Amino acid sequence: MTSSENRFRTPVFDREVVVIVGGFGSGKSEVSVNLARVLAQQGDKPVSIGDLDIINPYFRSREAAEVLADLGVKSLVPPGSLAEADLPIIIPEIKSAIQKRDGLLILDVGGDDLGARVLSSLRDAFSADSYEFLMVLNLRRPFTSTVEGSLSVIGEIEDAAGLKLTGIISNTHLMDDTTDEIILEGLEVSREVAARTGLPIKFVSMETSIAGRFDPRKINLPVLTLNRELLKPWEQRR
Amino acid sequence: MARILMKGNEAIAEAAIRAGATNYFCYPITPQSEVAEYLVKRMPEVGGVFLQAESEIAVANMILGASCTGKRVFTSSSSPGISLMQEGLSYMAGSQLPCVVLNIVRGGPGLGGILPAQSDYFQAVKGGGHGDYRLLVLAPSTIQEAVDLTMLAFHLADKYRNPVMILGDGMIGQMMEPVEFPDSYSEPELPPKDWAATGASDRDPLIIRSLFLDPTTLEENSIILHKKYEQAKKEEIRFENYKVKPSNKVLIVSYGTMARICQTVIDDLEPEGYSVGLFRPISLFPYPEVALRKEATRKNIESVLVVEMSMGQMVEDVEKAVAGARPVNFFGRTGGIVPTPEEVKDQIKKLIKKKSRRGRPAKKRK
Repeated sequence: MTSSENRFRTPVFDREVVVIVGGFGSGKSEVSVNLARVLAQQGDKPVSIGDLDIINPYFRSREAAEVLADLGVKSLVPPGSLAEADLPIIIPEIKSAIQKRDGLLILDVGGDDLGARVLSSLRDAFSADSYEFLMVLNLRRPFTSTVEGSLSVIGEIEDAAGLKLTGIISNTHLMDDTTDEIILEGLEVSREVAARTGLPIKFVSMETSIAGRFDPRKINLPVLTLNRELLKPWEQRR
Repeated sequence: MARILMKGNEAIAEAAIRAGATNYFCYPITPQSEVAEYLVKRMPEVGGVFLQAESEIAVANMILGASCTGKRVFTSSSSPGISLMQEGLSYMAGSQLPCVVLNIVRGGPGLGGILPAQSDYFQAVKGGGHGDYRLLVLAPSTIQEAVDLTMLAFHLADKYRNPVMILGDGMIGQMMEPVEFPDSYSEPELPPKDWAATGASDRDPLIIRSLFLDPTTLEENSIILHKKYEQAKKEEIRFENYKVKPSNKVLIVSYGTMARICQTVIDDLEPEGYSVGLFRPISLFPYPEVALRKEATRKNIESVLVVEMSMGQMVEDVEKAVAGARPVNFFGRTGGIVPTPEEVKDQIKKLIKKKSRRGRPAKKRK
């Protein structure tokens, strides 16, 4: 664990399945991959990650499967060249992993109601109180740039999934151009969305380089530090 | 307007709206379907038309029909879909009809794969359909540039009354970057669209066509088109240099997101003592031939390296520009594989090593 991670409380989960949903391009995959990394490093339970993104062709969490495998995280992804396809493949292992409830399973779901629809076919596998259903919010994305916009995307996702959210992840950023102010601005909107929906903010996520200088007192919430894994070919791993 | 984070496909779609596109026809294909997903929400907000057609052939004919009315029309697709549109694009060029076409290129030939590629260069730049015509082709390397070039493309389409293509590799469509849209959109004045079929109640009917059975008239039409392309060669050359300076020993020529990988390569090699510059064509037709020749023939340049996500489709245009004054080398990967910075670095090190060991034997022998 890097020192910046020690400065914040890290997210902790009692429940066995953590489902990550959100608006298209809100940062679900990067959050999922890093959550898997951090939870695996805590070492309490075996961690696995299921890539349920059936609408995005690039920059999917399955691209981080190797990095995660080194940390002991098992990736549930379609086999072989099917992993590179744009086909709506849901492997059966995911359903049984939801039912088994051993260890910690993170599910990275595709964006918007379109991506969340995949959950409706898995709905029966979830038993009550066994899962967290978390919404990633990025204020700097066009359709979730306001409280109203976020509420409307939340409604669409809940309807498509047939499941009710249990929390919010505040993930406002502008990639390399993220400032502390942008994160706080986003958190402000997340807090209002939380107040309007009655949902808790489970954690705030930010890049490790930002977390290193961020004052924990400004947030008073658990923080997931992100080491970006889904990089563009010209970007260097930090 | 605040900067927001957008996927290339979304940003290009929004840019089309800002540039006044009111007619969008499409057929979905990975990796550009987000353009349609975005516009199905946005087009109704500006009173425009969104229509998913039964095929790309139908799309091409729909943009042709809509363009006849003088409205700004837009379509987007990826490689195999663009192939299906070629007949319509040829008809549009022949009929002198403007439109903007986005090609988010995936690996080919055939159905290929869904990962990024630049292997539609020939099709885009040399004229993918039949007849004496060209497309004006613009290749962005960042999302912000994709926004700016898309808006420009609508202007150029009207200025030249010709289809304009935005050629983006899959990465341009799929990656996310911060972008900013201008608060208000303005462009240089254009001549009135007196050619548009807008209703002939108070004038003689107009006929917009590419069918000219009389060979003299058909030849005249081709000469009109040719003159427009010659004008574009004078007025629409666009390119960018990166760390091009007198000490450069190698000049990389690369476009689109591939050029950004080359920038990383250049930055990484600098502290190791390798002086490398990048010439990035932005307009692929018209090609920035004269500018490239000037940079490639600087005194210290020993060789030119073309880097592409294809088997080397741009090489012949670089060779034509350099005209034998320097050796032109090529490195590329294809089929959806993106060259890594390490691979490109190895190529440059080999070139510079080879050169310094052997000097310049070709010249000395003579």
